Amino acid sequence: MKMRKLAAFALSTVMAVSTLAMTAMASDDWKSFKIDPAQIPQEKLDTTLSVACSIRGLENPYINTIKVGMEMFCEYLDSIGQKYEMQVLDSGGSNDTEINNMKQFAAKANGNAIAYSDPNESAICTALVEAMAESGGYIGTAWNREEEDTVTDYDPNWVIHTSPDNVVNGEAIATALFDQMGGKGQIFVLEGMLGNTASNDRVAGLQNALEKYPDIEVVAQDTANWATAEALTLVETWLSQYPEVGGIWCANDNMATGALQALENAGLKGKVGVVGIDANTDIVEAIAAGDATATVSSNGYLQGGYTLAICYAAWAGLIDPAELPIEYREFATPATVITSENVEQYIADYIDATPEFDFSEIWWCKAD
Amino acid sequence: MAKENQAALTIQEEFAKKIKAENRREKIIKWAPVLVLLALIVVFTIARGSAFASVSNLVAILNQWAIPLIVALGLTFVIMLGGIDLSIDGTVGMAGSIASVLVMNTLNDNNFGIFGIIIAILCSVVVGFFVGLFHVKLKIPSFMVSFAFMNICTGIAYLSYSGTPATVSDPVLKALPKVSFLGIPFITWVALVMLLLCIYIQEYTPFGRYIYAVGTDETIPRSVGINVDHVKIKVFTLAGFLFGVAGVVGLIRLGQGQAGIGKDLMFPAQAAVVIGGTSLSGGKGGVLNTVVGTLIMTVLINGLTMMGVNPNIKTGIQGIIILVAVILTTKRGATVISK
Repeated sequence: MKMRKLAAFALSTVMAVSTLAMTAMASDDWKSFKIDPAQIPQEKLDTTLSVACSIRGLENPYINTIKVGMEMFCEYLDSIGQKYEMQVLDSGGSNDTEINNMKQFAAKANGNAIAYSDPNESAICTALVEAMAESGGYIGTAWNREEEDTVTDYDPNWVIHTSPDNVVNGEAIATALFDQMGGKGQIFVLEGMLGNTASNDRVAGLQNALEKYPDIEVVAQDTANWATAEALTLVETWLSQYPEVGGIWCANDNMATGALQALENAGLKGKVGVVGIDANTDIVEAIAAGDATATVSSNGYLQGGYTLAICYAAWAGLIDPAELPIEYREFATPATVITSENVEQYIADYIDATPEFDFSEIWWCKAD
Repeated sequence: MAKENQAALTIQEEFAKKIKAENRREKIIKWAPVLVLLALIVVFTIARGSAFASVSNLVAILNQWAIPLIVALGLTFVIMLGGIDLSIDGTVGMAGSIASVLVMNTLNDNNFGIFGIIIAILCSVVVGFFVGLFHVKLKIPSFMVSFAFMNICTGIAYLSYSGTPATVSDPVLKALPKVSFLGIPFITWVALVMLLLCIYIQEYTPFGRYIYAVGTDETIPRSVGINVDHVKIKVFTLAGFLFGVAGVVGLIRLGQGQAGIGKDLMFPAQAAVVIGGTSLSGGKGGVLNTVVGTLIMTVLINGLTMMGVNPNIKTGIQGIIILVAVILTTKRGATVISK
């Protein structure tokens, strides 16, 4: 009896230590994990997999790149001989539609489904995940979720949640602007819609940068509601009050377009720095022409393609999401700050051409 | 007999007195919008001094006044009829977007120049015509028809550039925002030309008189043989034309065609027309009232921006001032408040 207890204790200790060792090792190794098509059972390859991206509407240039990212990933599926069906779930900005779309999609696929989802609002994130989890499919979400939600709530079906870091991006463009201004001078601030999480986080990033540059003074700050025309009107009015302004910080590129137009009309384009976020084509081109200072690309291709790649690895049985370290399931995706230094390269890679990715290295999309 | 005469005189006198008092009140009401405008200018000048009253801000105000004025002119005739037009945000955005993809631009190889602009305005004219036609022939309330068309037109605008707004590269259009004559920006001149056109229509054409008649009581013009339906359709078509011009002016100002050109123009325009003194019940007011009304709205928004009011409370303050302006400038005591 005593011997048995001792043996059991010894055995369990060994098991615990080895498990610990395995996870410790695994944690370092995941970054270099590669999909090996040879390990995917033929039975899986012959099953028709339903692939979808659930999005707000294709009229926005950024969201369109997510769809293209999915198409690029599907080309990868072709290359390894996986049968699939691809679908765009367009919610048109409606919470109900997005949930219903996801329910129908998941039910139809009967567990053989993977999806990228950009929840229309944080509140519906878990409803989308639940729809997928009930059917046994795999989902990765981006941008919006409630703070208390975590992927482990729906093991293993909620594979990942990712988002570019809005605070970091807001600070990065501010820093680029302040450096261009020589660290001193007046700036205007154009916020997005009041109370919007993305806008608030980007403004918080701006505040961080302002603390590091004490000689930069915010002389005017207001919301232009993400809109070009409102941004134009605000900057036009402010310019007659503060003609000495050195830079304009905008929470997105639509507003940066309006700010640039106001500068153009006042004959100040190119003399006052302008920064935004989204990498809209006209702002990228303005950076190349020396009229704007910086913008940030969230790289929708990468978000759409790699989220599906990680979900695919889970569906194919190559990874078990429940066993993954949390930092491989909830992480920031890289964002590229575009300035005059790398704008030519960005135009060559992303505007004149579509980028190429190796989707077998599924965690290449992790920022750190 | 003498007593009766005296009584009659008293009644006459009383009547004349009442008329005089009413005329006096009407005169005050008539000038109230101008007084509100002057009060705003005085307050902002005291608060912001040289910055508000500077030449560069005057030019900014003229720039910001152009589009609201053109839009509100179109709306004035509709409101004088006793109708309402909610299609503004859509038609203005549509005209601007269509023009942007037809003139020389960054999205495609089109280069129709002035014809592109004419086509865009024509699209808006057609929409105005249909709003009027459906309203009159199918007997659907104007606000319902025009609301539907707002959505249709926004859809067409989205479709015209499908995701990537076109930036204007036509050298003439690109240069126009910087052009000014006698210190007045080009787009403001366009608005002033539209204003003259509307004054002419209102004051010197039979059509202009019919609008008042139909707005006051449409049974009267109908009984003397005026085709009331035609008057109404013409008014909505004219409004469509002006919204189209506003869309093109918006495109010139923004340098980029997008549905957003028309966004949030509609309610400020309604407010401007009413503050100017045109009655929502129809038949009263006119183009010159709208000039003052749009100036009040433009100066108010410009001044509040310049005051640096906290954005969280700015919209609320704006609302309170609009409310006060409406209370001060509209004639009350009528049996029909609005319809």
